[in-house]
Amino acid sequence: MPSTDPVIRLSNVTQRFRVIHERPDTVRELFSKLFRNRSSYHDFEAVKNVSFDVPHGQAVGIIGRNGSGKSTLLKIIAGVYRPSKGTVTVNGTLAPLIELGAGFHHELTGRENILLNGLLMGYSKRDMMERQQDIIDFADVGEFIDAPVKQYSSGMYMRLAFAVAIEVDPQILVLDEILAVGDMGFQAKCFERIRRFRESGKTILLVTHSMAVVEEHCDRAILIDHGNIIVDGRADEAIAMYRTLLTPEVVAAH
Amino acid sequence: MTQLIRDSYRYRELIWALAIKELKIRYKRSVLGFMWALLNPAFMMLVLTLVFSTIMRFAIQHYAIFLLSVLLPWTFFSQSLSYAVESIVTNGDLIKKVAIPKMVFPMAAVVSNIINLLLSLIPLALLVPLLRHPFYWTWFYLPVPLLALAIFTLGMTFFFAAANVYYRDVSHILQVVLSAWFYLTPIIYPLDAIPARYQWILKLNPIIYVINGFRLSVYYGQLPKAPSIVASFVCAFISLFVGFSIFRKYQNNFVFYV
Repeated sequence: MPSTDPVIRLSNVTQRFRVIHERPDTVRELFSKLFRNRSSYHDFEAVKNVSFDVPHGQAVGIIGRNGSGKSTLLKIIAGVYRPSKGTVTVNGTLAPLIELGAGFHHELTGRENILLNGLLMGYSKRDMMERQQDIIDFADVGEFIDAPVKQYSSGMYMRLAFAVAIEVDPQILVLDEILAVGDMGFQAKCFERIRRFRESGKTILLVTHSMAVVEEHCDRAILIDHGNIIVDGRADEAIAMYRTLLTPEVVAAH
Repeated sequence: MTQLIRDSYRYRELIWALAIKELKIRYKRSVLGFMWALLNPAFMMLVLTLVFSTIMRFAIQHYAIFLLSVLLPWTFFSQSLSYAVESIVTNGDLIKKVAIPKMVFPMAAVVSNIINLLLSLIPLALLVPLLRHPFYWTWFYLPVPLLALAIFTLGMTFFFAAANVYYRDVSHILQVVLSAWFYLTPIIYPLDAIPARYQWILKLNPIIYVINGFRLSVYYGQLPKAPSIVASFVCAFISLFVGFSIFRKYQNNFVFYV
């Protein structure tokens, strides 16, 4: 029965980064490095041995301090990073909104960017043509849709990017701290859309620093610190633990 | 190799859109826009024709056509490489945020330059009767060397694009390699300009077979001999196989270096 299978499954996922202190960008630097024979990097694990399942239709908030590994985790799920260890399984189409308008080109018009962005997310031209009008309506950029996006205000740019991600109707929506932008009217519209998205039984993963958003929109929250899962459970439990992490004594102790 | 074919098919719309984007941006904000894709080679041909028919006169008849028949494919080759070598690095921001097969970027660079090459053949076809050079039926053979050249170029772009992710010197080295390669290939001079005892060196040049196919069919009105055609495809597929194998081996690590 496909509906009982988890939509996202991470087992023992570790993401290691090689932090290169002075990367030899040129051949000359490379040679001088070789002769001096000094190791100039250290390995650093942004995500350590993380396992969890996300069942169909759940909204999961991922919280944690800056640099705790939240975004790395989302990028692993979105397929941007191949984890150093462990396995990731994602069943269903996934729309990643890691950064708004990542695929936009400033010289292309809004309409051209809608198509390009959709293709980048793995949709077909036909899919995008069918949804074009909904995207334009949601973005509400008026006549600017046929102007190059470099002429957009930052609000318009962001609205268009959000509209593309949400209107392609993915099965899984991955959002990385992007709802903090936009005016209140548009934010309300986004949350309304997310609510409808949830009601239609789809899965949401979102990284945010807004506890109010987690409380209101998430069935479950995962607290991460130093790449480890600290709490994986009800939103209020995770938030309570997060608050203790943030108290000055704890911060000083680290 | 099957993965390459599968991915090219699966992402054909994206590759096409990226290639068109490349061209659109190149001609954006110019009054004549896309017309420049035709006008550029046309003006270049005009200049070359004037120079070689009045100032520098060679023993070769209709030198402009002799030259252009291989200069246009060479330009495609060198332009594709110059665009593609940076393609992974320039799209680094995108690679860090969206999961897309990295091969679409060098592919798009090659596709956009193929479009340019095909467009530049139009003014060449007009120049031929203008100079009263015979228009040979062997023009219709051109799709064959075009295919071999596209495959050869694609393989090279995969290699250089991957290498440039790790060492940015590669894009500079490429320019040196390309200019040396240009003079080592019979483009501005005929094949037999090389003394007989050095001819074997030419045979080691992997692009020479396909380049020769262009000149034979457009300028001489002949078809290349079968071994030469086979050699052009052997070189093309070796290039694609080696280039793509290297690219595929390292593509998952690109995201850490861009």
